[in-house]
Formats: sequence, structure tokens, C-alpha cells
Amino acid sequence: MPDLRTEEFVVNMGPHHPSTHGVCRLILTMDGEKVLKIVPVVGYLHRSLEKICENRTYPQCIPILDRFEYVTAMSCNYVFSLAAERLAEIEVPERAEYLRVIMLELNRIASHLIFYGVTAMDIGALTPFLYGLREREMIMDLFEMTCGQRLTFNYIRIGGVAKDIPAEFIPYCRKTVSVIREKLNDYEGLLNENPIWLVRNKNIGVLPPDVGIAYGVSGPSLRASGVDYDLRRDDPYSIYDRFDWKVATRSNGDCYDRYLVRLDEIKQSVRIIEQALDGLPEGPVKAKVSPNFKPPEGETYARVENSRGELGVYIQSDGTKKPYRVKTRGGSFNQLQVLPVIGTGGLIADLVAIFASLDIILPEVDR
Amino acid sequence: MIWPVAFAELRPIFDWLYDMVSSTGLPEPWLSVVIYTGLGAMMFGVLAVLALYLVWWERKISAHIQQRFGPMRHGWHGWYQTIMDAIKLLQKEHVDVATRDKFVFFWAPVMCFVAAFLAYVTIPFGEGLIVADLNIGVLYIMAVTTFTIISLLMAGWGSNNKYALLGGMRSAAQVVSYEVPMVASILVVVVFAGSLSMVDIVRAQDGMFYNWFIFRLPFGPIAFLTYIVAATAEANRTPFDIPEAEQELVAGFNIEYSGMKFAMFFLAEFVNMFTVSAIAVTLFLGGWNGVFLPSWFWFLLKTFAVVLLLMLFRWTYPRLRVDQLMEFAWKFLVPLTFANLILGAWMKYAGWYW
Amino acid sequence: MTPDELKDAVAGKLGDKMSLLDTGRMVPMFEISAANLLTVAESLRDDAALKFDYFCNLGAVDKTERFEAVYSVASIVHKHRLDFKVILDHDHPEIDSVQEIWPAANWYEREMWELFGINIRNHHNLTRFLLPDDWDQGNPMRRDWDAPDFEKLPEL
Repeated sequence: MPDLRTEEFVVNMGPHHPSTHGVCRLILTMDGEKVLKIVPVVGYLHRSLEKICENRTYPQCIPILDRFEYVTAMSCNYVFSLAAERLAEIEVPERAEYLRVIMLELNRIASHLIFYGVTAMDIGALTPFLYGLREREMIMDLFEMTCGQRLTFNYIRIGGVAKDIPAEFIPYCRKTVSVIREKLNDYEGLLNENPIWLVRNKNIGVLPPDVGIAYGVSGPSLRASGVDYDLRRDDPYSIYDRFDWKVATRSNGDCYDRYLVRLDEIKQSVRIIEQALDGLPEGPVKAKVSPNFKPPEGETYARVENSRGELGVYIQSDGTKKPYRVKTRGGSFNQLQVLPVIGTGGLIADLVAIFASLDIILPEVDR
Repeated sequence: MIWPVAFAELRPIFDWLYDMVSSTGLPEPWLSVVIYTGLGAMMFGVLAVLALYLVWWERKISAHIQQRFGPMRHGWHGWYQTIMDAIKLLQKEHVDVATRDKFVFFWAPVMCFVAAFLAYVTIPFGEGLIVADLNIGVLYIMAVTTFTIISLLMAGWGSNNKYALLGGMRSAAQVVSYEVPMVASILVVVVFAGSLSMVDIVRAQDGMFYNWFIFRLPFGPIAFLTYIVAATAEANRTPFDIPEAEQELVAGFNIEYSGMKFAMFFLAEFVNMFTVSAIAVTLFLGGWNGVFLPSWFWFLLKTFAVVLLLMLFRWTYPRLRVDQLMEFAWKFLVPLTFANLILGAWMKYAGWYW
Repeated sequence: MTPDELKDAVAGKLGDKMSLLDTGRMVPMFEISAANLLTVAESLRDDAALKFDYFCNLGAVDKTERFEAVYSVASIVHKHRLDFKVILDHDHPEIDSVQEIWPAANWYEREMWELFGINIRNHHNLTRFLLPDDWDQGNPMRRDWDAPDFEKLPEL
């Protein structure tokens, strides 16, 4: 064969690209189909939430932080409230804690259902997306009847929750979780054993546990690599220690395991919700917190486990009713950092699969 | 006059048409030109409507698989939704990139469209319902459907877009690879029928369904399945739709096309899908053969059943990766189809068949 | 380890380089000087009893007369967490990069560099991060930052 002159070329993937889950831009250096270098460019969704929070009072910050990670906005509500409660040492009523756990887990399921659909769509199977959204719709209905919102809730407040659940919530919630438990079989049947799904996901984008830890990958993406680390258990908050559940882990760290871990987590969340519904006590849902909430001077970093990993908020208070500094940290921020490490060397189709399996969303990165 | 076209069932209509045209006093050479043009326009109209109908059908099927309704507003279950879409696309502004290769960019969709329609010259829609019964019919179809690759490559190159170029290269690699198992699985039929003519192949399957080649060939089902797999790849449909892999290449080769140029690619894809199904029916499923009902009805019925199969593939399977696709073609399909061909040829030679 | 044990363990091992801040919180908070950052960080990560191998968060705070860089690190194995802060000069803020120790710190430092104007020594990739490429209005997270289109909310 005579000398064939080949050339590397640069492809600009995004910011408007169907599989960058928002407005991420990846500058890819490619040799044919092979990806040689990935440079993520972020910031297209930067809304300077942290700066805005400096100018708001504590209760006003919560709806702002809803937009921080809008797929699981309950966690954002919760982590800010948690930090503020730790600063001011507020005791949260029992019923409120149960309601928070129910809402957080419902939201985790909703987020994982989106993951399920979107990942399948990125691999090319269009139907699971609609299946995932169908059950998510029931959860959205639950949120809507509770707080009137479907995406950004402003429901979990400092000292409790905004208001009590309506009477029809509990039966509908029981129905929802049983439907989800049942439909999980459908989800698994659609993809788990599908040969094309297996060749597209098995051994693709393997994330070794040490690399994952070094790059701060958290949540299901890290647990798929065999690291048994879940903040709900290992940095306890709320009342997760009262329920009987397991931390879902897998060992290979490839795209397929990351997908399986998330399906396992849905099952565990269903268990937690059922137990929380059984044990839901009567009582007030909000501690007495003044609208002019002023925590004492101090600082804290609170972190919770949301569907994408560690969601953290650092608050520094100077004793006034506005936080002096709010710093947010999302799981996707680190997951996107590790993408060039595990995505380089694969094909462009693998990159899409890896991006989807890390469950990166961009509002969390750009803030 | 000797008809260049064998229209047995529609003969009275065409006789009437011939009378109408000749009564205008046209000289004889012009007469055939007018008739040919009329036939071409009719074929084009039927296929364009067919493609639009397939788009609607695909939308409804995908909707019902995904627990949606799909188009519901225009007519009964939105039956003329796609016609409205086509009218909309016709009216749309053409947005062309400034850096395109003007000639190649313009002719790519035209070529794609023409290549998709050329195959219909030799497809027997019914007994005698064929435009031209070429004695090299199968070869002709294989040849003209391959033009589609050139058009996709032209689209990829002419757009001056890296995604489009990747899509064009992918489609070229894919179609060339899958052409081999496709032809090899078709050749089994040709060996048994002893003819390349589509009509002769159908006539060789006369009678009840057990005379169809899918049941009569030694490994008929294997030949049929390998043909369907290769045909899915030829028609660029999921799980082999990597040239336009939406999640990787955005839209692949047609990323820069808009308006009717895009619609031409889009409709050509559906016409291609119908083509490969029609070929499958002709070669393996007995073509127009059937009982009681008219032959064209049987042909369309079988073809739509195969089209339905292709649509079900699309809405249930994920997409393969480009290297896995090639591996599947060269390491699995090619050996399988060639083994099948050699075995079939030997059995034909030895006479071990009925 | 409980927070109290952790305090003692860290103070026992790195007491000369870190001073405990009495914040009365669940997680101990230490203060270290900018010069000691790298050595402290390395021993925090490598010490078998502490093993802070997981980098949680890094946020800077502009205290108008000084900068604070607040690091949160955690241990996957021992499941404990520790915060420490580094005080920086306001006029010429400069800090060592810890990305050799915790690769995850890379982007946090870029963000700190961009939004606060804190210079990071030995950082490989200090380029525009969250702000637009043509941004020329300074470091927006500083308290004294002002821009034509920045409006503070009126006091309630």
C-alpha cells in the first residue's frame, strides 16, 4: 500500500449537541473515529448562583439553589437547609425528617429514571426514554400535589418542609412505588440482556477505583467501580439509619455497571420510601424559624448523596441574615473532570456512552 | 403497438390512455414519449405517496411502541399529517452553508432520490405489473441501489462539515461491507431460480406458500435472515443507522441540509426501506403469489409486513458501534452467507431439493 | 473516627503545622499557613490512620482584608472528613496547587483563580473556565467587584 497520509482533525462537540446533556462543549482531537484528546469547555450555563446567594437572605437562597441541579432539586433544597440548620443548630421535627427522606428518595428515583431513558437514547434505543419518563411522570404528580411544582420545588425549607402533604399523597405514593417496582422488570428486560446493549456498554470506559477516588468521582459512578461509599450511610444525615437498605455496588466500573448500579439504587430507594411511609409519624412539619433567619457566625460544609454523587454546600455566615459566602459542589463537576481520563482512546460512540453513563448534567458543573 | 411495459391487469386503462393520446393526432414517435413520461410520473407519484404514508406509519408505530399517540390532529389518526409536513418542507427556506461545495452539495439529494426510485423499474408489483422485466433484474437493482452510497458520500463531502464527512464515510464503509453478504444471500435464490429476472424468480415460486424460496431453499430461513440484516444496514436503519447516528454525529451526512433537500434524503430513506422489503418479498416470500386476492394486493401485503419488521427493529434496538458493525459484517455475515451459497449451489448441482 | 478522635489524631501528627479552629462544629476545622499547604496535604493523604484520599470541595472566601481558601477532604476508607483553611494575603493572593496530591482539585483551583483572582502556583492549566472567553471585567466573586450591569438587591 502506498503511503497514506492521514491527518488528525478537531471536532467541536457541542455546546449544542444532542448527547452533551445540556451545553457542554468538548473539543475532540480525532484520528478518524478515534478520540485522541478531549478538552471539556464549560461555563455556558454559568448563572453565578453563588454570587446571587450572597445578596439574598437564607430562605431566599433555596429557590435559587433549586436551579443549581434541577434534575434533583429536592437535594439542593435539602443540602442548603442542612447546612443552615447545622449552623444555627435547629432541631427538625420528626415528621419533617420523614417527609424529607420520602421526597429525596422519590427525586432520586426520578433522576435515575431520566438517566435510564437518556442513556438508552444515547446508545440509540429511543423507546426506553419514553418508558422512563412515564413513571417519572407519576413522581412529578406527587411533587405537584405536594408543593405545586414539578421541577424546582422550594419545598424543603430551613427547619422542616414548606407544608404538610395532602391526604391523597400517601395512597398515590404507595401506588407509584409499587408501579415502579413492577416496571423495573420491564426496564431490565428491555436492555439488560440485549446483546447490542452489552457490546456497547461492557468494558467501555472502565473507571479504576483509585482513579475515581483521586478525581473525586462520587455517587453511583464511583460505586460501580467497587468503592462502597455512600454518604447516606458513611456521613450520616437525616434519618437514613432507621431504614433497612443496602448500598448498591458493582465491581467492574464500566458503563454497564454504572447503569446497573443506578437500577439497583431505584430498588433501594423504593424500599426506603415504603418504610418511611409506614413509619411516618404525626406532628408538626416545621420547626419555628424566624423569617429573619440569622444563624450565628460560623461556617460549615454539608454534603448529601444525590443521584449524581456528592452534593455539597459550604456556607460561611457572618451573623447577618444573608450568607457571607455560599459555595456549591456537584457530583457532575468531578465526573466531567474524569471524562478526558477515561474517554481518551475510545471511539466517538464510546465517548457518548461514557458521557451518558457518568450521568453528567451541566447546570451542576457551571452553576 | 407493442407495449414496452407488461401491464396485464391495468391493460384496459392503458389501452384507453393510448387511444386518448393517439386521438389527439400525435405522430407515432411522440406517442411513446408521452406514454413513458406519463408512466414515470405515475410511478413517481405512487412512490412519493407511499413514502409519505410510510413516514406516517413509522410515526404511528413508534408512538404505539412508546405508549404515545403520535400524530392525531390531521384527519383520522393524523393520516394526512405527513402530507402537510411535506408541503411545509417544500415551502421552507433553503439554508446553505457558505463554505459548501456547491455542485456536490446540490446534486447529492437529487442523486439519492433518483437512485432510490431507479430500483422500481424492475420490481414486480403484481402479475404483469412491472415497468420493465429486465433479464438482469437482480443485478440491475444491486447496481442502482449502490448509487445511494455515492450520494451520501457526496452529501458528506459537499457539506464541508466534519460531522457530515464522518457520516458520509461511515455510510460508504457500511454499505460497501453489507453489500457483500446481501448479494451472497440473494445469489442462493438466483442459483435456484436459474434466472436473474425478477419475474422469472417469482414464477419459480408459483403456487402455495411452501413453494416460496424461504421454505424451499436448503437453508432458506438463514438466507432470508441474513438478507434482512444486510438490508437493514443498506437502508441505514437502527441498529445500523450509524451514518446519521443522532447522538454521535448529530445528523450525520444530512446535517447541513434543510427544507426540501432534507426531505429528499428523508423520503429516499423510506423509499429504500420499501425497496429492500419489496426485494425480500420477491426473492424469498413468493412475490405476488397468493390466493383469491389480486396479485398486487398480496405483494403489497407481504411488503408491508417486512416493512413492519424493519420498523420494529428500529424502535426496539440500540445502535451498534461502527467497528462492531464492520466486525459483524465481515466476521459473521460474510462467512455465513458464503457457506450458505456454496452449500446451496452444491445441493442444486446434486439435485437435493424439491 | 469520631470528630474528637480525629482532632486529636491530626493535632498529634501535624500539630506543629496546623492549628485547630474552635468552631464547635461536627467536623474539625484547621488552619494552616500557605507555606505548609503541600506538606500538610501530602501527609494528610498518605498517613495510614488519616488517609484523606478524597477531595470534596475547595472554596475561596473574600474577607475583604484577606482571602480564605477552605478545603474539605474526606477519607473513603475511614469515612471521616476534615476541613482546613489557608489564609491568604488580599493584595497578592497566591497559593500552591494541590492537584498533584488530589487531581480533583484541578478545576476547583481554576475556578478560584478565575472568580477570585487568586494565583495558583504550579497549576498546569490556568485558562478561562466559567466566564466567557472575552471577559474583561475582573474577578466577579470578590466582594468589592462591581460592574455596570451588576445590581445588588435593596436591603429588606
